[in-house]
Amino acid sequence: MIHWLRLQRSLADFTLAALGRRRGKNTALVLTYALVVFVLASAMFFAAALRHETQLVLADAPELTVQKLVLGRQAQIEAEVIDQIAAIRGISGAKGRLWGYYYDRISGANYTFMVPTDPDLVPPAGSVIIGEGIARSRDLEWSGAPLFLSRHVGDLQKFEVVRSFEGDSALMTSDLVLMNDADFRSFFNVEPGLFTDVVATIRNPKEVGTIVEKASHAMPDLRFVTRDDILRTYQKVFDWREGLLAALAAAGLLAFVIFAAEKASGLSAEEAREVGILKAVGWDTRDVIAMKLWEGGLVSLGAFLLGTTLAYLHVFAFGGGIFAPVLKGWSVIYPDFALAPHVDALQLTTLALLTVVPYVAATLVPIWRAASADPDAIMR
Amino acid sequence: MISLNSVTKTYNEGRPNEVQALRGIDLTIARDAVTVLKGPSGSGKTTLLSLVGCMARPTSGRVSLNGDVVSGLPERFLTELRRTTFGFVFQRFNLIRGLSVLDNVMLPAAPLGQSHAAVRARAMERLEALGLVHRALMPVEHLSGGETQRAAIARALINDAPILIADEPTANLDTELTLRFLEIVAALRAEGRAVVMTSHDPRIWGAEGVDTVIEMRDGQIAGEYA
Repeated sequence: MIHWLRLQRSLADFTLAALGRRRGKNTALVLTYALVVFVLASAMFFAAALRHETQLVLADAPELTVQKLVLGRQAQIEAEVIDQIAAIRGISGAKGRLWGYYYDRISGANYTFMVPTDPDLVPPAGSVIIGEGIARSRDLEWSGAPLFLSRHVGDLQKFEVVRSFEGDSALMTSDLVLMNDADFRSFFNVEPGLFTDVVATIRNPKEVGTIVEKASHAMPDLRFVTRDDILRTYQKVFDWREGLLAALAAAGLLAFVIFAAEKASGLSAEEAREVGILKAVGWDTRDVIAMKLWEGGLVSLGAFLLGTTLAYLHVFAFGGGIFAPVLKGWSVIYPDFALAPHVDALQLTTLALLTVVPYVAATLVPIWRAASADPDAIMR
Repeated sequence: MISLNSVTKTYNEGRPNEVQALRGIDLTIARDAVTVLKGPSGSGKTTLLSLVGCMARPTSGRVSLNGDVVSGLPERFLTELRRTTFGFVFQRFNLIRGLSVLDNVMLPAAPLGQSHAAVRARAMERLEALGLVHRALMPVEHLSGGETQRAAIARALINDAPILIADEPTANLDTELTLRFLEIVAALRAEGRAVVMTSHDPRIWGAEGVDTVIEMRDGQIAGEYA
């Protein structure tokens, strides 16, 4: 074992010294390689952290949401339906919710309006609680600045901002406006006794599937959406966005593979001569191949570590500035928040395998041929 | 003792560029002697030297080392022999450019898996003995002709090989450096090592410390002089 370790150390020493000779060329190679890894890893870190964040946020979401469908579109739901839902076996409670979207012509952005179900969050009449994205888009820089909203020409409603949400929940609250029931109904002309949808709590979460199946059968004009359905939709959106970036990075990776294969496809006369010298002075074919493995390993692992470290810093320390517009969504109001570091070990391992193994393999094939040649070629 | 029996060597066999480099060589090289292979270019000196140094196998015939046939051994055993029994000084010295003198000297020891400190100390010892210790960390391409030759000798001796194989070691060297080389050979001989070299330099095969001169022509032995 000690013999093997010493052998590896000698080979690594030689490899490092040999790499140091073509410093410019090897540095360029590692940097190009690291750039490809950086793009892939950034997309991966960003999407994984977003998914993780979403999961945490949705953990508090209602287990079941019920919507009324008219002509296949969502319509307002009557208060009496709430009682019918609450009466379904297995459902422990049901509450009507009021929420909707509002297009703000001043900032050109869509806001989400909601009447909070949590009594602590219900603002007094004439007041709102807003997300930090709205404060930013409307330049409500000083504390206490009111929010003016207009539904049509000549209309202007003033709301006092009693509070605004900060960064921690920004992924979900950035474009949110909370107001009380009466203000909401008055602002959006919603009749008393009508709600946007209904949220229900389930006695035993394991029975969600059965409850939804039975309820959908009994009330065919209602749509039952579970928390898992929402989570799956979010996952798909993030997967799709990540896929978009991964496709771009894959093009980069392909270019790099072509470059690496070209580099590896034939040894330069100088390299072939060096292999001949090594064999002539007593290196075995295995030693030469092990040395090349070290070279490929050091280059690709170095690039992988550099790329992933930069990607980690890019995403978690600098907010992923380069890819954020694609990954966070297409909107006028981008949530402003710092992602909590979350790394998916399986994805990282896959990335390592996808980047390190092909390069090492590509460098190995030509050296195999050169190292198998008779060492006396160096004498002739 | 190194023996060659009915050895032939053909390169590119069966192809239009086939060359028969050695034809029926029978030869015995003493272990405790300085042997020089002389002859014109293309006479087969270098090919014979590569067979003696286990760098290549003969096309036919046998090569034995101390009575054991080595010409039929698999590659890894030949490598082992090259590593432990022979030290090589090539015609153009073949040091690896860009690496320091010390790195080059330590190269043959790398596959042995010995302690790095011990190998380094041994390399420094060899360089000291050859008056090159002050150049240890210098890249080899900055050395003069004589220094390059001595660095190549230091590399050949790093594994304490009992037989030094040198191919035209004084080609392109002036008389002073050639004489210095002969001094080194005499010192190696005094240490009990054997030296086998090729040369068409009369200063070498006419030198005092040379025990045997083997003359070659057209892939055959044309004469052997003690």
